[in-house]
This record gives sequence, structure tokens and C-alpha cells, in this order.
Amino acid sequence: MGLRLTVEGSENISLGITNIIDVAFGSDIPKDSNARSTDLGSTLMIKGKILAAVGGEEADDTKKLAAWSLVPAENSDCYRNVKVDVISASQVVRQVTFPNAFIVGYEEDFSDDTGVGTFTLLLKQKKDKISSLKFEGGFGQE
Amino acid sequence: MGFRVNIEGQENISLGTESVISVTFRTDIPKDSNARSTDLGSTVEIKGKILTAVDGEPFDSTRQMGLWSLVPAEKSDCYRKVTLEVVAASQIIRKYTFPNAFVIDYTESYGDEEGVGTFVLVCKQKKDKISSITVDGGYSA
Repeated sequence: MGLRLTVEGSENISLGITNIIDVAFGSDIPKDSNARSTDLGSTLMIKGKILAAVGGEEADDTKKLAAWSLVPAENSDCYRNVKVDVISASQVVRQVTFPNAFIVGYEEDFSDDTGVGTFTLLLKQKKDKISSLKFEGGFGQE
Repeated sequence: MGFRVNIEGQENISLGTESVISVTFRTDIPKDSNARSTDLGSTVEIKGKILTAVDGEPFDSTRQMGLWSLVPAEKSDCYRKVTLEVVAASQIIRKYTFPNAFVIDYTESYGDEEGVGTFVLVCKQKKDKISSITVDGGYSA
């Protein structure tokens, strides 16, 4: 499966199938509820590679993710539009859009026995904007 | 063993033996009770594959489950009827019916090494409607 991440804010971040390793969409619903709760949340976990640019090409956008994770809450740029595409056999299996996503976790790992670094990004949709989350898929690739 | 899952609400979600991997049925009873508790709950966990449609066939209905997990509590559609069937050797081993189930967890994960995604759906029966859960089984399919 091919995974793609697009982030739109004051700057655009685009990471393609060469970068992204894992994507997990999760829901944040109180586990101890006796009936359906109004306290709904949604999370997105993205794991990927930090690639070194060779042959004079441009470095990947992972640096911008690290910069985004440091944007303070006072700045409106901390909320960005995030889109994740899952592509398989020329079909978009899922296209999940978080229009007001913010970072709750960002980690980068490097070690001396690997050629690439890895990043783990954990996003949440702003809780009062859960209804604007889009959960699409099942159509042909544009 | 094969599993069939049917979710009935405003729309019907139907998943067959090719997509469902495992099903767990669990009764939640307080572990610290000294005598039989009235505080009973029931949970069902369904794990399965998210398949890609090929040759122009329709997509599986896993996306509808994701949408169900996002239905707010204000809408009556957040409660749906979930039916689970465990089939082996042309026998229905178990048939569980949760008439007023709601989602407490839904996860989808995808990796660049697999050809299919995975979902985990955890549902509970509305606690005041526990008595309407049915467990059948032991008849031929």
C-alpha cells in the first residue's frame, strides 16, 4: 500500500510513498461509557522515514514537521489541514482529512546503524471541530 | 472458522468471511464484587481486513464503520443493531445480537509493507438494554 501525507498551513508539507511507513487512524472515546458519549475525539498516527537527499536534490519536508511541532498555541498556525491518502491498486482506499489538526506528539529517532531516521507524528483534530472531519475513500485515483 | 458481521442502522454494513479476522465477545462484570453485581456490561471486539476493490467491484463497507464511529451521541443513528455469526463446518456455532450497540473504539492501520489495512472495532451494548442481547447457536447454517 502507498501512503501519502499532505499538510496545508502557512507552509505546505508533502510526504509521499517513499517516506511514509505506517498510518493509523484512531478514535478517542471514553472506554468506560455506559451509553454513547458526547466526548468524542479523533487521532492520527503517522510513522515515516527521514531520508537524506542525494545527488543535489532537495531535502524532504520532515524538517517542517519538526518546526510545526514547536509552534505555540498562541499562533493560529498550530492548527493545520492534514490529509492522508491510502492508495492500493490505483484506488484510493481511504482519504482522511483533519481540517484543524494539531500535534500532540512528535519524535525523531536516529541511530548509527541505520541509513535513515524515523519520525512518529501524533495528531488530533480540534475537539470542537470533530464534525468537520472527513472520512472518504473507495474511489479511483485522480 | 468464518465470521459474518452485520450492522443495521440507517445504512447496512455487512462484512463477510473474507474480511473478518477475529471476534471477541466479553461480559464486563466488576471484578471486585462480593456477590453478584447488577452492574453488567457487554463488549464485542471485531478485527478485520480493509480490502482494496479490484476489477471494478464495489468497495467493502469498512469505511461506513469509520463514519459510524464519528456519529455524535445526539443522533439516534449512533446506536445500531450488530449481529455476529461464527460459522464452522456448516454450523452456526454462535450468533450474537446486540440490538443497541455503540462504538467505544475504532482504529484503522495501514503499512507500506502490507497489501491490506486492518481495522479494530469495539462496541458495547447500551447498558440499560443488556437484557435484549441474544446469544444463539448450535444449528446448521
